[in-house]
Amino acid sequence: MKMILTLCIFLISSIVHAGDGIDALQALPVQDGGRIKPFQTFANESLQLIYGKPAFKLEGSSAPARPATEILMTWILQPSAWQETPLFEINFIELKKGLKLPSERKHFSFNEILGNERLPALMQELQSKRETKEKLDPYFQALQRLDTQLFTFREIAKGAAVRVVPPRTGDKWIALSDLEGELQNQFIKVTKAFIPLLSATGDQSRERMAEAEKSLAQEVTLFRSLAEKENPSLYPSAQVIKAELHYNSFHPFKWAWILYLLGAVSSFLAWILGKSSLYKPAWLMVILGFALHTYGFALRIYLTGRPPVSNMYETVVWVGYGTVLFSMIIEFIYRWRFILLAGSLVAAFCLILADLAPVVLDPSLQPLEPVLRNNFWLMVHVLTITVSYAAFFLAFALGDIGLIYYLKNEEANKDKIKAITLAVYRSIQIGVSLLAPGIILGGVWADYSWGRFWGWDPKETWALIALLGYLAVLHGRLGGWIKDFGMMASAVVTFSLVIMAWYGVNFVLGAGLHSYGFGAGGVEYVSVFVGLHLLFVVFTTVVRFDRLQKKA
Amino acid sequence: MIRQSIKFLSSLKLAVFIIIALAVLTAAGTIVESRYDAYAAAKLVYHTWMMYSVLGLLCVVLIAVMIDRWPWKPRHIPFILAHIGIIVLLVGSLVTKLFGLDGSMRFGMGQSNRYVTIPETEIQIWATFDGDRPTRILNQEADFYVDPPKENPIRLQLGQDEFVIDDYEPYVLATRQIVAGSSAKLGSAVRFQIQNENVNVNDWLLQPREGAGVARDFGPARISLGNPLPESPKENALYLNPKSQKEVEYTITYKDKNRKALKGILSEGGAVPTGWMGLEFKLLRYFPKAEEKYELKPAQYPTPLTTSAIQINFQGKKHWVQLNDILKLFTQDTAYIISYQNRRVDLGFDLQLKKFEIGRYQGTMRAASYQSLVTTPDGKDTLISMNEPLKYRGLTFYQASFEDGPDGQPVASILSVNYDPGRWLKYLGSFILSLGTVWLFYNKRKAARAAAPRKGSI
Repeated sequence: MKMILTLCIFLISSIVHAGDGIDALQALPVQDGGRIKPFQTFANESLQLIYGKPAFKLEGSSAPARPATEILMTWILQPSAWQETPLFEINFIELKKGLKLPSERKHFSFNEILGNERLPALMQELQSKRETKEKLDPYFQALQRLDTQLFTFREIAKGAAVRVVPPRTGDKWIALSDLEGELQNQFIKVTKAFIPLLSATGDQSRERMAEAEKSLAQEVTLFRSLAEKENPSLYPSAQVIKAELHYNSFHPFKWAWILYLLGAVSSFLAWILGKSSLYKPAWLMVILGFALHTYGFALRIYLTGRPPVSNMYETVVWVGYGTVLFSMIIEFIYRWRFILLAGSLVAAFCLILADLAPVVLDPSLQPLEPVLRNNFWLMVHVLTITVSYAAFFLAFALGDIGLIYYLKNEEANKDKIKAITLAVYRSIQIGVSLLAPGIILGGVWADYSWGRFWGWDPKETWALIALLGYLAVLHGRLGGWIKDFGMMASAVVTFSLVIMAWYGVNFVLGAGLHSYGFGAGGVEYVSVFVGLHLLFVVFTTVVRFDRLQKKA
Repeated sequence: MIRQSIKFLSSLKLAVFIIIALAVLTAAGTIVESRYDAYAAAKLVYHTWMMYSVLGLLCVVLIAVMIDRWPWKPRHIPFILAHIGIIVLLVGSLVTKLFGLDGSMRFGMGQSNRYVTIPETEIQIWATFDGDRPTRILNQEADFYVDPPKENPIRLQLGQDEFVIDDYEPYVLATRQIVAGSSAKLGSAVRFQIQNENVNVNDWLLQPREGAGVARDFGPARISLGNPLPESPKENALYLNPKSQKEVEYTITYKDKNRKALKGILSEGGAVPTGWMGLEFKLLRYFPKAEEKYELKPAQYPTPLTTSAIQINFQGKKHWVQLNDILKLFTQDTAYIISYQNRRVDLGFDLQLKKFEIGRYQGTMRAASYQSLVTTPDGKDTLISMNEPLKYRGLTFYQASFEDGPDGQPVASILSVNYDPGRWLKYLGSFILSLGTVWLFYNKRKAARAAAPRKGSI
């Protein structure tokens, strides 16, 4: 497995890669957030935190966006030049109002924020809330983010947060600001070699650019070998760093969702227009997307050394994966075309969501909390529960498609409706037969690590509520009150419970033992998503009821 | 008659109603937990008669459905398994609830402990008539969360003295206050500020008793009260010593040996430039005799620092006692100690914490793992870590958490202790239930298949 992966990385990176100075700089190992990462990752994450995007573009300027690595180098070189630049992203409108900042602007400069009259009082209030360990409301969460942004910027500008040299003893790497002797001199040489690249934008010739790149690459390589000499056992292998750079630049999940979308379009056409010639290409796209999706997972597992289901981002990507998998299985059995359509749509939706909302869904590679480490049961329990959500998501999408048929013409599409109902039923069955054991495995795991099988923890409780919801649906069908239309409608409605269990507990309730997955943001979008679907169900119900009445 | 009630109890409508009721109740519980805490959710939802009734009714319905299907045929097996699984699971939970133990133990470094603290609370009153050897004269459960004593005060008549518990706050926050005192044994206290463009610190220093020293480090410098001046000062420090009722004497020393120490006298409101990075020292308050008092403030919502508190009315005077704190009351001939505390269960043996270690993620303060080395009475040492509990005499000890001291080093390890006689039932029930569910769907597959259109036909 590892060998194949290495080979893949090697092949792909040798195509894209062109050795130059910035690349060498980006590959410089940095210790941050409990692990060693390439400077590029460190820069991307820092700029993401402070500016909200991994590349910087001056507001109103026509110059192209500059990558994070360059931006961070200039912070270190000349922090004063950045004090007036609108760099700090504040999204929360109430906070902007509280600080009397214009609410139409997104970014504010360092001086603008620090010079703010209201900031000290608010910061003091935040501090006292932290001391009394009060739960922070969204306003203070936003303020806390601003505090972290300012702190991170200052620490990077000082060089104190940029840990680039392994220590001879201990495990805390030495920061730029604490470098001494030869290492310090060599880093100064690196910065000197970097400066020409900044000014060499327009008028300078290509050769001079190439030369500047070459000398930067040389200086960085020299610095790297000096740093490695300090403590070779702590220094990461070039291969791991290369794999992460490749992960950063290749965006496997992005390619996967593009392919899924293409697959969805072809299966849509194959189904609606009856163009059978498009059915095979649809399969091809989805399988290719699935392969890339798998590859992305494999890379993440290789880089973190653990299964990738420890935060919201990772579960969203994982649920997309499960949906495609289940839809391919059911499609393979029944060949009804719309199952593949629903599966690829859901997967594309999940991956696009994961790509678009890095503030809410944090894509960075994080080390695990103690309770999650080295635990077989954890893996099994989380993977089973989340993959059951994938099956319910598929049922939800199928339910949507079914409801559209009811709106269009119930009589003319009887066959299709029957087929969709069966597919919905299948998906819910898969979901329930994974969710019930998943919850029980959660109990086994909780019993094993905390000594209680069931502790009414909100995350587990909501998973149980979702299970109860689907059980009610299945029993209702058994009793004959839920027929085909009811199946579609309840697949859509009951999925709200899954959304609550999956997203709501972490982002809305924010309580309980699963706090390591907690986050903030996106509540309004998720509520609109759920609300619109509930309205859609009510609307189709009313329309259908009306039609049936007229017929009678 | 029996036939009819079985029919009613085994109706699907009732089953779906119970499933939905259970879902609604537990959903309400999670909302309570989110607004308050797990304790509130347990008291208000999960461990209430309403919840027990719904679960009891669920069992009755599950049994009724099985009776209704009698005589059973082979196709009923998965359905029966799934339902029996749920019943066994629920019985197992009941056994745990009735006969199990679930609490926690706190160990300071190197300390022994034999008591498990459980969430239930109680009141103990101890009395001493000769000023020595108190005897316990009352031990009573005190659970006021659901039924606060405001309307129905609890009267405890002990001999001639009556204690009345007449108020309760679920969440109070104790804030430390320093007030002027009068006893001659008390030390002094100062409130000061050090300030420059970037720094603004405001703090109290209180001598624990007269003549004792106290100091606090603020990164670049140290402020100290009541400590003698070192003979050859080697650090940036400011030494304060009480001089009179109104004035304190100060000496500022420097790391730089060539710099001479600065001496002077300050009274309240007085300030002096320290010469360290432009910092100014200002004396805000000075009490020649001071003591600390904790003021209890009720809070609307709990935080990790709040506890509950009760009010005791004794001889017309009202006193608040925080959970796990004591109150001393005196009459002419008796001294009472009143303790409002979590109930503790004696394990019957001592457990000793030998060592506690935290592994952190490289270069951060983020904990990656933590573990306790404990000694059991048989002299064996066992390492308890996250997910690696110790099993001893039917009890299981888990690494739950730890406490950090003021300097960021751990000062105590917290183990959770558990005795669960219902465990095997829960595992058995889970197994039967899972087996039944999967089997059930496997069988249902054929039936549903018949109703749908052919493969690839649409």
